[in-house]
Amino acid sequence: MEVDISGAKVFFTTPIDVPLLGELQISETLIVSWIVMALITGICFWLTRGLKVRNISKKQAAAEWIVETADKFVLGNMGEKFRYLIPFVSALFATSVVSNLISLIGLRSPTADLSTEAAWAVVVFTMITAQKIKTNGVGGYLKGFTTPIPVMTPFNILSELATPISMACRHFGNILSGVVINALIYGALALASRKLLGLIPGAVGNVLSQIPVLDVGIPAVLSVYFDWFSGVMQAFIFCMLTVMYIANAAEE
Amino acid sequence: MQVQELVGIIPWTFVAQICNLFIQMYLIKRFLFKPVHEILEKRRAAADAEIIQAEETKAKAEAIRAEYERNMQDARQKANEILDSARNTAAIQSEKILKEAQDQTFAMKNKAEKEIAQEKKKAVNEVKGEIGDMAVEIAGKVIEREINEKDHEKLIDEFISNVGEVS
Repeated sequence: MEVDISGAKVFFTTPIDVPLLGELQISETLIVSWIVMALITGICFWLTRGLKVRNISKKQAAAEWIVETADKFVLGNMGEKFRYLIPFVSALFATSVVSNLISLIGLRSPTADLSTEAAWAVVVFTMITAQKIKTNGVGGYLKGFTTPIPVMTPFNILSELATPISMACRHFGNILSGVVINALIYGALALASRKLLGLIPGAVGNVLSQIPVLDVGIPAVLSVYFDWFSGVMQAFIFCMLTVMYIANAAEE
Repeated sequence: MQVQELVGIIPWTFVAQICNLFIQMYLIKRFLFKPVHEILEKRRAAADAEIIQAEETKAKAEAIRAEYERNMQDARQKANEILDSARNTAAIQSEKILKEAQDQTFAMKNKAEKEIAQEKKKAVNEVKGEIGDMAVEIAGKVIEREINEKDHEKLIDEFISNVGEVS
């Protein structure tokens, strides 16, 4: 019995080959990302059909609740001047949650690929830096690295760079650990059921031992933590950090 | 099938995910936030309009109430005036009627007294006439037969009593 834990599958490799970027490979990550985007957009589209001013439906109430919660989350943590960031943070959260949870239907999470989180973290890091420069000016931003004493400069640079890396790796690590543990548990339970049913003598035992009976049900309990809790939690943490870092950067 | 590294950054995927994030941002903004914010704004505007309308209606009602109260007061005053004038008229009239009645009774009494006096006078005159007649009659009787002293006395008594009766 082999347990195979690998990276994203490559469905096909396009002939596009750019230096530095390498070959354009259409991987599982990209395909599932597009499915996730289609899903989110579809839900948004569906939620906002037939909006009314009065006598609203449950669907509309849900849509309004989502929008108001997103507004409250961003405006409450960052203030009114960051209203333009609401769609960005919402997109980040929605994509992260749906990507994390899509593993429940058997697809490989795009978030189980470090490229995805690295992309998000770099975007957020760029925003933080831009906000810092906007608040303090280029000079002020650079001078910020020498505080409280110039000796600290290398450490300040390190801690600055640690921000996106820690954000990306935290999220990625949690999701990947879920993938790994799920694979291990499926493998282990299949092995256990084979040995258990193999005890039945004769042909019946041979046939039954091919069916991983223990794989039904038990992994679902574990997925409550590794998929549901961890998935929603990591999405929330990522957005919370984004909001907090940018809000901090805006402070004089 | 070819697989990518388990832990690693694939440049194309990295770039594509950045694009995906921004596309997703636009899509969420376009398909969720824009319509919902629009509808929330519309509802707010509708609520505002309703409040303004309610305020207007209230002001109008207040004006109508004030006017009604003023009218009521006017009416009450007018009613009081009418009542007062009626009372006055009635008092004056009753006084007049009473006075007239008094005058009338007084006149009637006077008239009656006058009539009584006249009647009395008339009666006295009549008695006087009768006395004359009786005197003549008595004289005739005296002449007619001889009168003794006793008769004479009787005659005088008769006369006197007659006179007393008449008067």
